[in-house]
Amino acid sequence: MTYLDHGATSFPKPPQVHRAVAQAMRQCANPGRGGYPAAMAAAEALFRCREGAQRLFRCPAEQVVLTENCTQGLNMAIRTLVHPGDPVVISGFEHNAVTRPLYALGAKCHVAGRRLFDHGDTLQAFETALKAGVRAAVFTHVSNVFGYVLPVSELAALCRQYGVPFIMDAAQSAGSVPIDFEALGADFIAMPGHKGLLGPQGTGLLLCGRLPRPLCYGGTGTDSLNREMPDYLPERAEPGTRNVPGAAGLAAGLEYLYRVGVQTVGKRERTQAKLCGEGLKKLGFRVFSGEHQSGVVSFLPDMDCQEAAERLAGRGIAVRAGLHCAPLAHETAGTLETGTVRVSFGYNASDAQTQTLLRAASQLR
Amino acid sequence: MEKYYITFRSVTTAQRGERCLRRGGVECRILRTPRWMEERGCGYCLRLRPGELHKSLELLKGEGIAYSKIYLQDGVGGVTLWTP
Repeated sequence: MTYLDHGATSFPKPPQVHRAVAQAMRQCANPGRGGYPAAMAAAEALFRCREGAQRLFRCPAEQVVLTENCTQGLNMAIRTLVHPGDPVVISGFEHNAVTRPLYALGAKCHVAGRRLFDHGDTLQAFETALKAGVRAAVFTHVSNVFGYVLPVSELAALCRQYGVPFIMDAAQSAGSVPIDFEALGADFIAMPGHKGLLGPQGTGLLLCGRLPRPLCYGGTGTDSLNREMPDYLPERAEPGTRNVPGAAGLAAGLEYLYRVGVQTVGKRERTQAKLCGEGLKKLGFRVFSGEHQSGVVSFLPDMDCQEAAERLAGRGIAVRAGLHCAPLAHETAGTLETGTVRVSFGYNASDAQTQTLLRAASQLR
Repeated sequence: MEKYYITFRSVTTAQRGERCLRRGGVECRILRTPRWMEERGCGYCLRLRPGELHKSLELLKGEGIAYSKIYLQDGVGGVTLWTP
């Protein structure tokens, strides 16, 4: 199989991730509850994961909350900053993991930035909304549909300038684009563990610049006499037993990225996405590409996009078609009616993958 | 033999403390805090050998690692709250 759906989850994972998961299954008991060796081995596995995140994102280990996925982190962050009816600014490229929690809260969403790959438009639209007064800003780092890399350093600076707390959705950027938590000064950055960070499914991280409001309440193994959740991290946001094998695998993924380098991985992905986009254009397809693009490229085939993906799957190529859980991004790009076929490269991106895809795509007539 | 216990609210902070002390050449062990030492319920602590407390506190301070309390266990089993 030629796997080009890393935007959904990275696959296959590096062998060291498999080994770390298996080792944790063999050696670890419940973390943060007991003091015997198997319990401490579990606590150590979680701590290594936090340390890996600290090293990659410059975020103190205590402020790294282990979540089930990016969506859970985003929900926690949004429910901390946004109250029913609050005005909130979001980009025109947000995923349902952002828009649905905001809708559920009854937030008044101001959509800022409707032009793909246009930093000037994004920044101007955000500044207008921030100036008008909003309670919070939520923006994705990279569009999961089109690979548009938003100008997040400048957006963060604008938020700080106007005193507006912000959440960054790093679902498609973590592991592919450098992220500096300290420099951004974010209130929250949410990311999945199983995409660019190469960990197992069911893992995620929430980097916290402030105390979150818990989504769930329960035992933490510490502060047991307190009837409320602890007022310190990470316990406040981590009730119940954590996913120890998942965290061990994620720690191995973080270690891999630290060793290889996020810049190197990102460059590899972007190079192939560019070649892929150019090749698809030569084949006569409409391709969404531009400056500030990550390793994700969407195109419109001359047939229903799901049928195109099905035909590619028949030739051993895994891509994703449809709306990619991001109807807002499709509305922004004018592809809500058609959807797109998304090709997303990963840490193992290669010329061979691109050429295989282009050969198969040439038969989509 | 005297022993010191430095208590922490969070296991993660205790782990950071353990890493910090080991990097600084201090041998220590992370343990569940004895129940009577932990007025808020449960927690974790670092147990130190005698003579390494002051160096340990300097190392923790240097990395901004906050602890809760320090207890001194004397050679005959008595334990007292220790104040720097």
